[in-house]
Amino acid sequence: MTDFRISRRQFATGAAAGGAAAALGLKPAEAQNFGGAELIEAAKKEGKLIYYTANFTEVEQETIRAFNKRFPFVRIELVRAPGGQLITRVRTEAAAGKLTADVIDHSDRALMQPLEDLFQDYAPPNAAAYREDVLISKKLWPRITVGWAIAYNAELVKNPPKSWMDLTKPEYGPKLIGQVIAPSGGTTWTRVMFERQVLGEDYHKKQAATQPVLYPSGAPLSDALVRGEVSIAPLLYNICYVKKRDGAPVEIFFPPEGVPVNFFASGVTKTAANPNAGRLWLNWCMSDEGQAFMIKEQGNLTALKTPPVYPPGWDPKAVKVWAPDFQQYVALQKQWIEEWNKTYGYRQ
Amino acid sequence: MATFDSAAFAEHGAAWATTRDTGERAARLRAAGRWLWSAGLMLILAFLVLYPVAMLLLGALTNTNPVVDGFGVFDLSPANFVTVLSNPNVHLALANSLIACGGGTALAVLIGLTFSWVVVRTDTPCKRFIAAASLIPLFVPPLVAAVAWAILASPKTGLLNSVLAGIGFNWRLNVYSMAGLIAIFGIYYAPYVYMFTAAALRNMDPALEEAAEISGASAFKTLITVTFPLIAPAIISGMLLSFIVMLGIYGIPAVLGTPGDVPVLTTYIFKLTAWTPPLYSTAAAVALILMVVTGLLVWLQQIVVSRRSYTTVAGKAFRPAVLRLGRWRYFTLGLAVAYLLIVVVLPTLALIVAAFRKFMFIRNLQSLFDTRQYSLIHFERLFDNPLVLRSIVNTMEVGLITALVGGVLAFAIGYTVNRTRLSGRRTIDVISTLPVAIPGLVVGVAYLWAWIGLPGGLYGTIWILALAFIARFMPDTVKALSTSLMQIHRELEEAAWICGRGLLATIRTVVLPLVRPGVIAAMTLLFILAIRELGSSLFLYTSNTMVMAVLLLDYYEGGNIGITAAFSLVQTVLLAVLIGLAHWLSRGGTNSGVGQAG
Repeated sequence: MTDFRISRRQFATGAAAGGAAAALGLKPAEAQNFGGAELIEAAKKEGKLIYYTANFTEVEQETIRAFNKRFPFVRIELVRAPGGQLITRVRTEAAAGKLTADVIDHSDRALMQPLEDLFQDYAPPNAAAYREDVLISKKLWPRITVGWAIAYNAELVKNPPKSWMDLTKPEYGPKLIGQVIAPSGGTTWTRVMFERQVLGEDYHKKQAATQPVLYPSGAPLSDALVRGEVSIAPLLYNICYVKKRDGAPVEIFFPPEGVPVNFFASGVTKTAANPNAGRLWLNWCMSDEGQAFMIKEQGNLTALKTPPVYPPGWDPKAVKVWAPDFQQYVALQKQWIEEWNKTYGYRQ
Repeated sequence: MATFDSAAFAEHGAAWATTRDTGERAARLRAAGRWLWSAGLMLILAFLVLYPVAMLLLGALTNTNPVVDGFGVFDLSPANFVTVLSNPNVHLALANSLIACGGGTALAVLIGLTFSWVVVRTDTPCKRFIAAASLIPLFVPPLVAAVAWAILASPKTGLLNSVLAGIGFNWRLNVYSMAGLIAIFGIYYAPYVYMFTAAALRNMDPALEEAAEISGASAFKTLITVTFPLIAPAIISGMLLSFIVMLGIYGIPAVLGTPGDVPVLTTYIFKLTAWTPPLYSTAAAVALILMVVTGLLVWLQQIVVSRRSYTTVAGKAFRPAVLRLGRWRYFTLGLAVAYLLIVVVLPTLALIVAAFRKFMFIRNLQSLFDTRQYSLIHFERLFDNPLVLRSIVNTMEVGLITALVGGVLAFAIGYTVNRTRLSGRRTIDVISTLPVAIPGLVVGVAYLWAWIGLPGGLYGTIWILALAFIARFMPDTVKALSTSLMQIHRELEEAAWICGRGLLATIRTVVLPLVRPGVIAAMTLLFILAIRELGSSLFLYTSNTMVMAVLLLDYYEGGNIGITAAFSLVQTVLLAVLIGLAHWLSRGGTNSGVGQAG
């Protein structure tokens, strides 16, 4: 277990960078390092790339639009599938020699690591600016970083919870809280680890006693929260942020005990037909400009040592970032998820 | 006494021998042709059905991916079946599936049969309108129907419950329950029963009904003891098809069953494929159990149907009798209007509200009419995505290919099974029925495993999707056509043969014109099913071949009910236009009240 508290120095640097971030979009391409003129020219010749992701289509389309403002000559063709299904597709296509993806992006690093051999050597120009401790391979990079928060429907909840521990209080039950099931994927598994390792071994038992409503994934839960089907829910900040940004009656906060974060893994495949376009896409996503866009517009976090900007509501002096130990992330998953299922009465 | 002319005899004998040789050669050729025809059909079915099912079985008996791990390293074991069969959660899901689909089927039969009778055999006003309304639910993807009803009748936030609260009622609708599942299944799958029974009622010789009435039987008694028994194969086929289709539906139980904690087999299978890591082999084992259950039902249906003759379309012209209902015709019209309200108007209104409203939080009844809450933002975002237009074009393309190629293949199979005595026709029937039992989510993986390695670049094209849909919906199409084929009396074909027509000419000039409404209905059904199909598309689409159903799921999974509803409305309108076009093309046949042979 690793506790990554943001230092004052980091905060100061981040704040300064945050102030400059608004100007980032105005910088010409040459002023930032996206891989050099040669790469840009080669990507222009390729003209397109095929991109596999487990992230949501709508979110990815926003990112692609921002990338195309900078590099309009690269057309990105998207294939989106839920985590488990994406891995099955990638493995099967690769085995049949028909892997069409140039870039693959996945939310579960534990599922991606065994596929390392499918990827070519790749590192973004600003590789040194990234935290080494979150890298599981030199070929796979944390293009996206997401963090957990607590959200509530402001129209329905007059006395909102203020911490993770508050979610165990009987006053928030029965069926007022929505929970994403533990086996839904890497991001939820990260939160489950955090709850057990940081909030206590008995946290799940106490929380389950409030009789939460279980949802298969975060997106339908966020919709249920907006509609008022449930009133409170632990959710990824980026899922709720866009709803709040667009005017939905939701409030989100980062609980004081910590914010479990999950890092995606992205890489360029060995068989890529458009490797230069793939590299350029990842270079841009990993750049300060790309990360700032995803933080500001989509409510993501970042694995950059010095964040170019912070998401709204993020107080770097107060928020404690929590990232799982990757060995434990892999080793504990099966047993702890089974125990979670039993505690919450989820039938598997 | 005539003298024996040996030369003439020899000449005659030679001529006779030549004729006999020619006849034998022709017979041999015909036999070879018949054999080739059966073999050809079996080969096509082996490619489309047996090979993917074998991959599925292989997957269920191992814990490997046949493409990734190769074919030589399997450690065959029944462990997945043992695990699945001993899992109480699977027992619960199976029981829930049978209850939900059984209840839903009973309701679908009640609704479908009532409306087919109202439309075809009564003088209820606005029949064309009722006929069109009865089919509308068929266009609505299950996921969309469920989302619309969750908006309407969720116990906490449902619009109807807000209305009930607003007018002071304490009772609440709860669609997140077993009763909710049964009701939604029943009202949305009634068109399957309607399509089968309306065609049968329209094509039925009314002589037996007239005889019953002459004998003093009341209209109701005639209906129950003569009319419905006569169209029993259509009722059973519609009932079975709707039951089996419900059994394979994911969208409705996912949206309504999950919050109500009513797990069914499809949601269980989906969970197995979506968990981290995915458990496809276990999912394949569950799917094979589902196949066995469905296979038993199909077998039962065949026994019931084969015991009796249901030929009602013969060489005699007739017009189905129309029952004069008097004042009761306004009651039947009222029933139709109520059905239309429940199944079309309310869900469409819910979708319109969701598609145009910025957010679906509705504090009270007044806020529903607050115009500041409405905008075009979801449509703007929808059409801002280049994938949307591409998915629409791809879907239309794949739907058309599926309907045309699948329709021809289904006719070939249906004719071979129902109208010939070719060897192997029973096997062809059984193989073509197999896919009905395989849930789409799992069959998608089976097709991927089976066809990705084939030379010729099938993977990544529209054709792989079309082939998967043709295979997956072959039972639906063949059964839909078989009902029409079974009703044609053999005397019509025999008359053509006596007049010197060959088999193909008989099919072209006699059979096809007679079953034209059935063929067009089957192709339309195939088109609709192909456009809605999600499960088998999930693994076969690529960046160039994105289809609407997959994109719709993406939006739903993305948690944006507004864009999901907007896209659903676009899809519904597109389908309605296309179906209207198909109906217009076939109007001569379907609306004819004259007996088909007349």
